[in-house]
Amino acid sequence: MGNTNNTNRVILLVEDNPDDATLTLRAFKRSHVANPIVVARDGIEALDFLFARGAHADRADAPLPTLVILDLKLPKLDGLGVLKALREDRRTRLLPVVILTSSKEEQDLIAGYSLGANSYVRKPVDFAEFVEAVKALGIYWLMMNQGPPDGSTS
Amino acid sequence: MRISTKGRLATTTALATIGLIAGMIWWANQEVEDASGRRRQTTELTRGLTELRLVTFEYMLHRHERPRQQEREVTERLARLIDASPFSGAGQREVLDHLREHSAAAHRLFEELAATPGADGANTADAESTRRFEAQLSSRLLILQQESLADAFRLTDFSAERINAAQQRVVIVILAGLALIALTTGGAAWLINRKVLAPIKRLEEATREVAAGNWNYKLDLAGDDEIADMSRNFDAMTHSLRTSFAQIERSNQELAALNQEIEAFSYSVSHDLRGPLRSMDGFSLALLEDYGDKLDDEAKDSLQRIRAASQRMGRLIDELLGLSRVTRAELKLKPVNLSEIAREIADTLAQQQPPRAVQWQIEEGLMVHADKALLQIAMQNLLENAWKFTGKVDEPVIRVGATERDGKQEYFVADNGVGFDMVYADRLFGAFQRLHHESEFPGTGIGLAIVQRVIRRHEGTIRVEAKPGLGAAFFFQLREQSHG
Repeated sequence: MGNTNNTNRVILLVEDNPDDATLTLRAFKRSHVANPIVVARDGIEALDFLFARGAHADRADAPLPTLVILDLKLPKLDGLGVLKALREDRRTRLLPVVILTSSKEEQDLIAGYSLGANSYVRKPVDFAEFVEAVKALGIYWLMMNQGPPDGSTS
Repeated sequence: MRISTKGRLATTTALATIGLIAGMIWWANQEVEDASGRRRQTTELTRGLTELRLVTFEYMLHRHERPRQQEREVTERLARLIDASPFSGAGQREVLDHLREHSAAAHRLFEELAATPGADGANTADAESTRRFEAQLSSRLLILQQESLADAFRLTDFSAERINAAQQRVVIVILAGLALIALTTGGAAWLINRKVLAPIKRLEEATREVAAGNWNYKLDLAGDDEIADMSRNFDAMTHSLRTSFAQIERSNQELAALNQEIEAFSYSVSHDLRGPLRSMDGFSLALLEDYGDKLDDEAKDSLQRIRAASQRMGRLIDELLGLSRVTRAELKLKPVNLSEIAREIADTLAQQQPPRAVQWQIEEGLMVHADKALLQIAMQNLLENAWKFTGKVDEPVIRVGATERDGKQEYFVADNGVGFDMVYADRLFGAFQRLHHESEFPGTGIGLAIVQRVIRRHEGTIRVEAKPGLGAAFFFQLREQSHG
């Protein structure tokens, strides 16, 4: 288990706003994060990807993403709903989830952490700050953080 | 009938009865006195008659002139007594007439007896007949006198009877009066119990029910007296209480709905309004980074302005959300050390800009009763302002302390910065109101609006004193902690 292994693992970005998705991808690129990034446009799509259902049924044997970056305001099923479903399923209950969203409303922070989010980051308006934040996220979650062992999540 | 009318009626009846009894006692007294007078008179009469008898005997024995003279006098006195007698009843008059006749007859017999020559005559036969005549006269005279005495006793009896009758009547009247008073008192007591005490007990129960929160309780006492009036007023009172409470309830519900809407609005602002700004800033920066070499300085400047405006808008939104959070936050009042809060903020500011040497004068031990989080926000804004506006003076001093004003504790944050003209003071606490150009002193103009809202939420007041070039001082009072 080393950084080489981690760089191959997918990062799942759950983001409905295409501008935000583009900017986040750009920020990752500028932070030199090498991991492939998959974008899910709503909560259901995110769960389909993670649980290999529907359009993602072919992923049945694929490993879980190394990190899920989750927006809160999403169509169909919102971020908190996704988080709840992840924590209720034994396969994903330990999967690192970082909430990356616009709001810093107290209710969102409390709900996010109560449902088992590993981190909560607010998207800054200033893109330079945003790049800094994403870079820090990448360094921390992809390089420094020791994720849960595979056996415990599957 | 009103209770007061009934009360007056009972009092009048009792007083009238007492008056009646008093009248009867007076009348009986008169009657007894009158009868006593008559008895005295009849006693006199009896004494006269007895005297007459003695005089008659004396004359019969001795035939002196003196008893004869006395007989005349006594008879005359008796006649006067009989004439002056106050008896007026038919039976009594008859007795008096009888007495008068007997008296006159007795006198005539006495005179006849006196006219009879003495028995010491020559002729024995004559003497015998004279003696017999005398004896006859004497016995007739004595019988008459005896009868008169009996009549006098009868008159005495009349008086005694009259006294008895008067006494009896008084006893009856007193008994009847007492019975009437007892009846009136009993009636009044019954009335008070039924018409006053029982309804008051119900009223007392009703007030207890209403005090416990049962505003639907109805008394509904029928009648036209004062208690019934009170009952109706009581019911009207609970009804208006009920109505007011329902209205308050409705207002509260509306307020809660409104709050919920504001909450939802803030939430939506928080999530959705910053997204487009991120795009504007992000893609402007992308243009600058990716195509910077193809853009001239003016194009780059334009892109920088777009970025600056987006970021400023982002800050404005954040501060507006902060203002709204201050309004919505639930107050958790407890003792808070204001000096400590000020000291912490001062330290943070000093750390952020180490080259600046500001002299802090923070009074120790300032304790207030407040919501710590909100007070922190207010002090943060006040001290940041002081820090900002002393940025261009040589020896900046920022003071935090307390004074007394109108008997109330007043806290202040004062600086010797640029200050401002008091003409603009009333605009100071409005959102987005600025007294300086942003190029001079950056800021959104929401800070003091937030401060004012925090103070208002503590039911306090805030005011400012300032002079251009000499600095500004913000004074605020918080609602005094109420004990008990």
